[in-house]
Amino acid sequence: MIKSALQGNVFEITLSRPEKRNALTPEMLADLRAAIAVIPKEARALLLSGEGAAFCAGFDLALCKDSPDGTVMRALLTGLHECIAALRVLEIPVVIAAQGAAIAGGCALLGGGDVILTNADAKLGYPVARLGVSPAVSAPFLRNLAGDGVARARELENGLIDGRAALACGLAHECLEAPEAVRSRALEVARDLASKPGHAMAATKRWLAEIAPISLAAQGLSVSLARVGSEEEKRLLPLAWSTVR
Amino acid sequence: MNHALLAIAGPVATLTLNRADARNALSLELLQDLHAAVDALAPCASGGGSPHVLVVTGAGKAFCAGMDLKAVLGNSTLALELLSSLALFTVKLRALPMVVVAKVNGAAIGGGCGLSCVCDLAITHADAKLGYPEVDLGVCPAVVAPWLVRKVGAGRARKILLTGGLMSGREAHVCGMIDVLCETGAELDRVTDDVVRRLAAGGPQALAATKKLLNELDSSLDEAIVLKGAQLSASVLATPDAQARLRAKLGA
Repeated sequence: MIKSALQGNVFEITLSRPEKRNALTPEMLADLRAAIAVIPKEARALLLSGEGAAFCAGFDLALCKDSPDGTVMRALLTGLHECIAALRVLEIPVVIAAQGAAIAGGCALLGGGDVILTNADAKLGYPVARLGVSPAVSAPFLRNLAGDGVARARELENGLIDGRAALACGLAHECLEAPEAVRSRALEVARDLASKPGHAMAATKRWLAEIAPISLAAQGLSVSLARVGSEEEKRLLPLAWSTVR
Repeated sequence: MNHALLAIAGPVATLTLNRADARNALSLELLQDLHAAVDALAPCASGGGSPHVLVVTGAGKAFCAGMDLKAVLGNSTLALELLSSLALFTVKLRALPMVVVAKVNGAAIGGGCGLSCVCDLAITHADAKLGYPEVDLGVCPAVVAPWLVRKVGAGRARKILLTGGLMSGREAHVCGMIDVLCETGAELDRVTDDVVRRLAAGGPQALAATKKLLNELDSSLDEAIVLKGAQLSASVLATPDAQARLRAKLGA
């Protein structure tokens, strides 16, 4: 469910579970983490994309149904944290093609990107608190990406915003009209970034990480993990199983 | 010849980068004159009746074409001196108690774009060219990066600095690098005058107190970070790759 390929000097990792809107499973996150770890040396930019109409609709919460002790939810939260953190320490630029939907865990992945593209009618947001799940795991990354106000609004409010609003608030950097155009334009951006001097790119990325560090990333994960198995989650999470994806 | 002109008219001072033949590129001499101008302004700003708005602009068509790297190619000591001078100047300019307005009359590139971000407000027109093409040349915009992060936030700063190239005044307005946008260059004087008049009508002490707090909130006056940036920038500049790209670009 994770594909990867080197195209010239751009390495593309694709979430490939289009029939489930690329909903994340623990295995997918482990495979994503593994793919990030083996980016070939020739790669000078990474493109993260999702197959089909939606970039990523978040965790596959149906899996939690058969895991009443919270094992699956813990694996999802930990895997998500590890993937975003791994993206953020890469010395090559990371471009994300977020067409259609980047919701919950899918929205969280944006925190790992340097250049994020979406489309005007895409839906982005983080409506998980209504399920008794804490989105704190990605708060440190989203805050670094788009500022404290945006992180608060998206994590605490249950609504979704469209691609135009995401561009305006800094959750995305380029907004196209057609969803089908997002991935090809993102590849173009990635190729352009890959053509730039890698030494200067890496030095600039390291410097930006030093002057604008991500605060409390591990604590974000702990806060989300501490909510797993809570009475509130047990009461509210089944709401997710009744909604049709 | 003085490369930086300071003019004071009542509550408004104007600092003009005056090296039009070099598109106001930041040479050591220009930076020395800028330091001297702001040094001259600092003491008078603390008293009453002195300027409480400073407009920074460029003579001729460009605002500032960035660091004058031609003079320091192949000389890493001079390069570090130039970058450190810019680094210290950014903090000195930011520390002024008066409100500082960048009137970006034309191209603001690299260090020049960085200077506009040090100012409290930046005004330009839709067709001006702004941006940070450093990575394209194999160099690292380390001195100006902290200012861009403060101005537009870390995420947008990453996008802007890593993608390099240039953007229009309109695009710079959309991403928060520019606060006030005029449709055409012809309107820039009038729009700037309007903004400056409003600022000059404010209580100078309230403005100064507010600016001081804002500077504390984002650690604006941290000299160590920009000086470290100057060292990093100089070390990347000294690599053979960067030297070769710059020679090709500058025809040196």
